Amino acid sequence: MYCLFARNDKGGCFGRHALISLWALLLCSGIGALAQSAAPPLNANAPFSIRATHVLGLPKTKNNCNGMLSIQNNELRFQKCGNPDAQVNIISVRALFLGEGRKQVGGLPMKLGKAATPYGGGRVVSLFAHKKYDTLTLDYVDSDGGVHGAIFEVTKGQGELVKNELVARGVSSSPGEDQPTKQSISEVAHEDK
Amino acid sequence: MKTSRRNSWTFCVAACVTIAVALSVRLAGQTAAVKPSDGSSGSGTQWSLQVERIDPGNLDLAHSFQVAIYENLLEELNKTKRFKYVLREADSRASEIPDLLILKTTVVKYTPGNETQRAVTTVSGATKLTVRSQLVTRDGRIVLESTVSGNVYFFGGNLRATHNLARNIAKAIRQSNMAMVRASYRDTQPPTLNARGTQ
Repeated sequence: MYCLFARNDKGGCFGRHALISLWALLLCSGIGALAQSAAPPLNANAPFSIRATHVLGLPKTKNNCNGMLSIQNNELRFQKCGNPDAQVNIISVRALFLGEGRKQVGGLPMKLGKAATPYGGGRVVSLFAHKKYDTLTLDYVDSDGGVHGAIFEVTKGQGELVKNELVARGVSSSPGEDQPTKQSISEVAHEDK
Repeated sequence: MKTSRRNSWTFCVAACVTIAVALSVRLAGQTAAVKPSDGSSGSGTQWSLQVERIDPGNLDLAHSFQVAIYENLLEELNKTKRFKYVLREADSRASEIPDLLILKTTVVKYTPGNETQRAVTTVSGATKLTVRSQLVTRDGRIVLESTVSGNVYFFGGNLRATHNLARNIAKAIRQSNMAMVRASYRDTQPPTLNARGTQ
């Protein structure tokens, strides 16, 4: 209201208002463009690769080893540096579950350091030395029809990307409709208890 | 004097030889008694095992835990070398194997833990799993039943409980008397055995 009245008095107010409107419009369109470019590509043929930890389940692969989890040519591959990669045909994947977890970081050196810290200082360090991660659980079958399971840990937030990639290639996210949501929620609840 | 010394020497040597022979016979007897309890000997047949996926029962057990128990079980049971083949669920080769047992595992108790809580407090945050495992024949007769637990109290992630659980189940099966399992399979009214193989 003030501006409307002032416009008659001062000609510069309209120009200022227009500038602010233009700036707001540019900001909104910029954010929109950024959001579009940040959206994960769901091209079914494009290769996809992230860092992951193989917890267990893949044949001829050590448990709890770090490597690259990639999806290419309808195959899910896990490659540890220098080792031949383990691969699972995406067609053989029967179900996919996404969960969350939290773990202490630093491994054995950190544990020893915490134990050696005097006056219970190690416990205080433990309070902050943890990180969240996503777990990706796959059910797949081998050539004889035997049921296998594999578990991967990925950085928090990246589990959803892998899930989207696999779903885009035809993997069902779970046997039931409500199962994945229920499973992931229950896992979070369990971890937080 | 000389004669009495020679006699005593002869007596000592004879006693030693008698003791040695008696001990060797007894050891041989023990070995023979132990051998049939091994799953690979006895009637000449060796069981194969098919591991079914974990039944969470009424509990809200995360799928990653179910998969981890299943995979760890397969690994630990392979290590026991008690079974000719250890097969996965739905393996098509199972229909061709004559002496097949099926391992069914149902979760009866689950206490979710927290690694951070364990690291901070030491006394709380333990992950506890208790399952009922049954060895069942093809026609549904239970030949071995045991309740086994696997826990993580201090070190390690929550999934370590599944590894401990699988190791304990494999230990229970290894300690069971497979000869009795075989005998109970032949009987018309088989007894249910506990993990020690006693009725």
